[in-house]
Amino acid sequence: MASHAYAQNQTVTGKISGKDDGLPIAGATVSVKGTRTRTQTSADGRFTLSVPSGSVLVVSYIGYKSAEVSARSVTNISLEPDNNDLTEVTIVVPYGTAKKQTFTGSAASLNAAALEKRAVSNPLTALAGIAPGIQVNPPTGQPGAAPAIRVRGFGSINASNDPLIIVDGVQYEGALSSINSDDIDNISVLKDAASTALYGAKAANGVIIVSTKKGRNGAGVLNVKVTEGLISRGVPEYDRLDAYQYYPVEWQAYRNSLVYAASNPLSIADASTIASGLGTRNAAGQQVLNGRTYLDISQTLGSLIQNGVYTQSNNPFNVASNQIVDVNGNLNPAAQLRYNDLDWLKETLRASDRKDYNINYSGGTDKTDYFASVGYVNEKGFAQKSDFDRITARINVNHQATSWFKTGLNMAGSAAETNRTATASTSYVNPFFFSRNIGPIYNVYAHNPVTGEQLFDVLGNRVYDTGGLTALGVPSRAGGASPGRHVLQELLLNDDSFKRNIFSTRAYAEITFLKDFKFTVNGSADFNNAYFSSYQNQIVGDGAPGGRSSREAIFTTTYNLNELLNYSKSFGLHNLSVLAGHENYSKLIDDLNGSRNTQLLSGNTEFTNFTTTSGLSSFKDRDRSEGYLAQLNYDYDQKYLFSASVRRDASSRFAKDVRNAYFWSVGAGWRLDREEFMKSASWVNLLKLRSSYGLTGNYQTLDANLDPNYYPTLALYDVNNNALEPGFTQSTTTSNAALKWEVNKTLDIGLEFGLFNNRLSGSVEVYDRRSSNLLFAVPLPVSSGLVTQYQNVGTMYNRGLEINLSGSPFRGRDFSWNIDFNATTNKNRITKMPADQPEIISGSKKLMVGHSLYDYYMRIYKGVDPTDGSALYVPVDGATGTTLRTVNGVVYTTSTTNAKLDYTGDSSIPDVFGALSNAFTYKKFTLSMMVNYQLGGKIYDTNYASLMSVSSYGNALHTDILKSWKQAGDITDVPRLDPVNSTNLYAGSSRWLTSASYLYFRNATLSYSLPKELLSKLTVKKASVYVGGENLFLISGRKGMDPTQNFNGTVTNAYVPQRILSFGVNFSL
Amino acid sequence: MAVSAILPACKKDFLETAPTAQAPAENVFTTTANAAAAMNGVYRLMYTAYADQGQGGESSVMIDMDMMGEDLVNPTVGNNWFISLHRYIETRNVSGAQTLFAYRYYYRIISNTNAIIEGVEGATGTEAEKKAIRGEAYAMRAYAHFKLVQLYAERYVAGGANAQLGVPLSLTTKIEKLPRATVAAVYTQVNSDLDAAITNLTGVAARANKSHINLAVVQGIKARVALAMQDYASAAALAAAARTSAIAGSASLMSNADYTAGFNSYANNEWMWGISQIADQGTFFYSFFAYMSVNFNSTNIRSNPKCINSALYNQISATDVRKKLWDPTARDAAFLVPPSGVRIAYMNRKFLANSASNSYGDLAFMRLGEMYLMEAEALARLGRTTEAQNALYTVAFNRDPSYVRSTRTGTALIDEIMIQRRAELWGEGFRFTDLKRLNLPLNRNGANHVASVATVFDIPAGDPRFQWVIPIAEINSNNLIVQNPL
Repeated sequence: MASHAYAQNQTVTGKISGKDDGLPIAGATVSVKGTRTRTQTSADGRFTLSVPSGSVLVVSYIGYKSAEVSARSVTNISLEPDNNDLTEVTIVVPYGTAKKQTFTGSAASLNAAALEKRAVSNPLTALAGIAPGIQVNPPTGQPGAAPAIRVRGFGSINASNDPLIIVDGVQYEGALSSINSDDIDNISVLKDAASTALYGAKAANGVIIVSTKKGRNGAGVLNVKVTEGLISRGVPEYDRLDAYQYYPVEWQAYRNSLVYAASNPLSIADASTIASGLGTRNAAGQQVLNGRTYLDISQTLGSLIQNGVYTQSNNPFNVASNQIVDVNGNLNPAAQLRYNDLDWLKETLRASDRKDYNINYSGGTDKTDYFASVGYVNEKGFAQKSDFDRITARINVNHQATSWFKTGLNMAGSAAETNRTATASTSYVNPFFFSRNIGPIYNVYAHNPVTGEQLFDVLGNRVYDTGGLTALGVPSRAGGASPGRHVLQELLLNDDSFKRNIFSTRAYAEITFLKDFKFTVNGSADFNNAYFSSYQNQIVGDGAPGGRSSREAIFTTTYNLNELLNYSKSFGLHNLSVLAGHENYSKLIDDLNGSRNTQLLSGNTEFTNFTTTSGLSSFKDRDRSEGYLAQLNYDYDQKYLFSASVRRDASSRFAKDVRNAYFWSVGAGWRLDREEFMKSASWVNLLKLRSSYGLTGNYQTLDANLDPNYYPTLALYDVNNNALEPGFTQSTTTSNAALKWEVNKTLDIGLEFGLFNNRLSGSVEVYDRRSSNLLFAVPLPVSSGLVTQYQNVGTMYNRGLEINLSGSPFRGRDFSWNIDFNATTNKNRITKMPADQPEIISGSKKLMVGHSLYDYYMRIYKGVDPTDGSALYVPVDGATGTTLRTVNGVVYTTSTTNAKLDYTGDSSIPDVFGALSNAFTYKKFTLSMMVNYQLGGKIYDTNYASLMSVSSYGNALHTDILKSWKQAGDITDVPRLDPVNSTNLYAGSSRWLTSASYLYFRNATLSYSLPKELLSKLTVKKASVYVGGENLFLISGRKGMDPTQNFNGTVTNAYVPQRILSFGVNFSL
Repeated sequence: MAVSAILPACKKDFLETAPTAQAPAENVFTTTANAAAAMNGVYRLMYTAYADQGQGGESSVMIDMDMMGEDLVNPTVGNNWFISLHRYIETRNVSGAQTLFAYRYYYRIISNTNAIIEGVEGATGTEAEKKAIRGEAYAMRAYAHFKLVQLYAERYVAGGANAQLGVPLSLTTKIEKLPRATVAAVYTQVNSDLDAAITNLTGVAARANKSHINLAVVQGIKARVALAMQDYASAAALAAAARTSAIAGSASLMSNADYTAGFNSYANNEWMWGISQIADQGTFFYSFFAYMSVNFNSTNIRSNPKCINSALYNQISATDVRKKLWDPTARDAAFLVPPSGVRIAYMNRKFLANSASNSYGDLAFMRLGEMYLMEAEALARLGRTTEAQNALYTVAFNRDPSYVRSTRTGTALIDEIMIQRRAELWGEGFRFTDLKRLNLPLNRNGANHVASVATVFDIPAGDPRFQWVIPIAEINSNNLIVQNPL
């Protein structure tokens, strides 16, 4: 700004710097109090301004407290950082921003500073622990995987519980892993109806708003970030038996199966002889007793059958195969392992790392601002054949063309490639499933069973032992050890990958008119193109021997257009703003997928190289909605706050005559700290009481695979051709033309406070979220031939208390310490069920009035009968028959079919969960860390159940199985080992429930800001180095059990979350 | 609302969307051509994958039936598929996957046929076209109810009240909870539907292909029903009628060369009813041939080739073509095992998959040979010895050029016919229901069953284990259902 030469003016020069680091602040505004005279500091923090004598200068910059000083010819000012000033915070809300001080809703946010040092490929992962009421499960270890998020409990039973995600003002359909974390300015999580109701029908599960960075008025700045990380396994494996422990246990299981056989049982002596392999043999190498043929334990664990004769058996030891376990069940003390390749886990993992490079530059003038970035992430997973590689670029330009017209464009592109592994829990090519469950006696590489020597192929490579190499004279594996499969060989030979290219663009035009009005048109187009490839090889596994390939291309195009009219005006102390708008949303999914088999040339996995088409299909899906919205915000002197909003929504998922619905909210707040009677309490910086109530909707109907169901109201037939004849069959989900929105009514009451110069701040909130018209997938009788029908029945509530406390126990010149603590309780109850299905059993849960949707309902396990090691269950009412028995005066059943299904009294929902964060600053060092915790609730640990079940031979076993019942009189809670009776002995029951409490050290960062004396020589404005860690350790109810996998308390053989240790450098030029 | 006046609204049909790969139900019964497609879809359900790879429609139920008999031997547990059925564990487990699958699969057929029976009336088309569709739909509804009542209820006892609980009779498209009808009522309805099918299919134009039920097939189904009801006079007459109808439609017993060709082509002139499976209709591990063939490269076949009961095998004449279907030596290189597949004595090569890498293949649901055997059995049980010997002779001589017309009578003749039946229909899904309808015990002794695999050698006749339990999913969703004795 030019200075004018008035006689009484003086020229002031100076430098603005930050008190925290002493660095110059570029782009700070220096103005003359009470005038329009102002300027901005240059890149080195300097300014020059001509001002009237005796003026007062006001200096302001975001993130710092404003300062006022009297103008002198040289005025250097250092600004105090504003770490805790709640009054200045703006929060991102639907269709705009709001000042936190006058906001009547409940929201939490995460800013760029908190994100930039986190090694997260999906930015939402960083939401874990930031505020109460938000549950964020860490993503699986698959690089690029997304976390699961729940806001204030579980509002829906069969429709989606995922929050709505908005990116730069528009509902986002792409993967968040396609967004560069360093492009993000802010992520807001909106929890209550007052915050979310403007998104009406889509807002019931909460809203997450991601805003990307903009340039700021001032000299440009260029930031560079380089991070290198080491990735390892974040959760340890379960404790499992080694080969020496395993063999006698399997012997015992086999012996018991002969003794407790349903027909023709053997005596213990005979069974022991047979199991050890000391009986008389026939020509086929089987033992014969009483005219029946039997195998021994080593044959049972693996056999080589040549021309009908059992010639070899599984024997990893250096003693004869009938000398491994004696007739008393003891391992031969002379037995030593012959092999060192029995550890499948080790073979499927690898050293892995993460690289993250970013460069961005931004700046602006009075009229135009810009932000541009390029980023690259490469993450190698710690399991073989899993990685994530992403290039992102973004440019965001805003231009104030005239005083009344402003426009802007924000374009981002990303190209990601991923190799996946462990996509299905019990797939043979899932290294976690396979290595967890294969017995510790099976070789990764093939050996000559006689000499023990490794086998090599003609090229001199080791031969993988697929557990079925009969042709090479290698014994097969037992049925429980995935015979014929080889996870490592398959992973290395197969492909399972996808590419995702996202091009995302936002543009707007804003017209200001009649002084207080603003009309904005926002348009967006998101192009999300994904291409999935998979190949199964010709040598081993599902594709062998032909080889097969499949491809799927999914093109998703989303357009969103909204027109918004704003009116904002202050009348004295009355502040009023009104918003009205209209919005269209349209998504089109184009899908093409095919598969071919029988490969011609090896090495080429393209379709042309296969002979037979085994599948080929295509389809389109459309999802559309339209809404009209209006909002009013009013406050009196920022003391009495009021807001109201309404939205009418219509979705293509519902039928014409029922698809329109109104959603609304009202909110009110009272800033007690601004009242006269509080003036004397100077220690109170903020005291706000607020409340909101509103109606929001959920339309996210899902199919049985939990994929979106875009047509829940239509009666449909699937195309199902009969060979070459055209064919139709009924869809198993039947129609309901009357289906409409699921509705949430949410009441929120909160108290926000800042005390003692904001050294202690926080909030206490209660919420009552009532879901009704639930989009209930009501199960139909199986005898109807149909499976489910969506009906609007049922009600449920989530009620909870949220506490958030932030404190600064120590704030010194060199040292400061901040603590954040939050805790949430959520009580979920079903209050109404479908009239004709008042009790719905769904897996390990039963839905019923008076219970939560995650209350366990299953057989009740009551321990072990000491007489024969049978598992005991509570019997069904009125049960009779031979499966009942009385132990210590109580009647139990030993049969799963006679066992009563009942509520166990447990739920997967914890009593309380939250996070504790600490940040320490000492001079130029900052250490921050966060621990997530959860107390109460139960996990149904099916991984453990599988390791505790000898339902077939050859599967790995947990060390707890050593406590199993062995002989009459044994007192234990682990039943007899006996594969033939496994259905009853190891049935799904309350036996597998384990405490869900955990302590998860989610992340820590130690950073160091380089001194400016050093930097100024290098013309570097700012630089820091840091080390960080994600998922550092987990303490859970059982080693190996990850209680954060699913909110419903189930576990799978998912890719174990990764631990990342990273080292990074940040600098600004 | 005020804003709607100043802000643009979308086009009126903006929110009208429909899937592109599915058809609206209201379009399916507009014409008889479309209704016929709905009937084609019912046949497709017989080889569609349900919840897991052991649930491949009719083919999996066929495997179940042999797994629960004594004639199919699992030499090892392989990778465990179907072993719990073999051990009679799965069908006693209310949460058993296979127990639910068969129930759901047959009711899905019934539901689709109900829609066709109701929908075809309003379709545009000729009465002749409607008759064909209607007839096939009635027949399939009867077939499904018949299979269900055989699995989930106590057997039908001729001359008894048969008031024991059968299965729900689903006869309309109305979705409602249905109680279990009595066994008598189910058989009455099955016969009534079959009669309706016969009425409608009599005199209609020749079917497009063998996947469709025609008059001969309905008569064959009805003969099976009569056998299950121990109504041997009807069974004999219906089997003969089915045979006559089939032969009139140019069916004939296959040649010995065809007999060893792999049972995988519905061009085989002996097949009366079966499906043709083509490559792109998804077949990997749920196809019949993924478990029962000699050559498909699945872990199951490599490690657990399906064998015949050695005691049954030993009763087959050396000159019988069927003797060639099994290898008692485990050394016959003509048995094309997949790479690294084991050879085990008495393994079969009756069934050949398309190739080691493609499991698809055509599958027979009814063959002419069975008609002769049903007729012979029914006649023998009626004491019409000569007729029975003649009926048996036709098929037995076809299989064995050295076969001499039986001179046996009474029980000896019946036993001979039953041995012929077991050898002829091995692996085709008959043995469990044969044991049950004849009230025989399961007896796996004295043969090549491995104790640690089969685990169950004896089950007395009439044991509760012959009734499959009603799946818990049905009881949970339909409180009118009473469970079988556990």
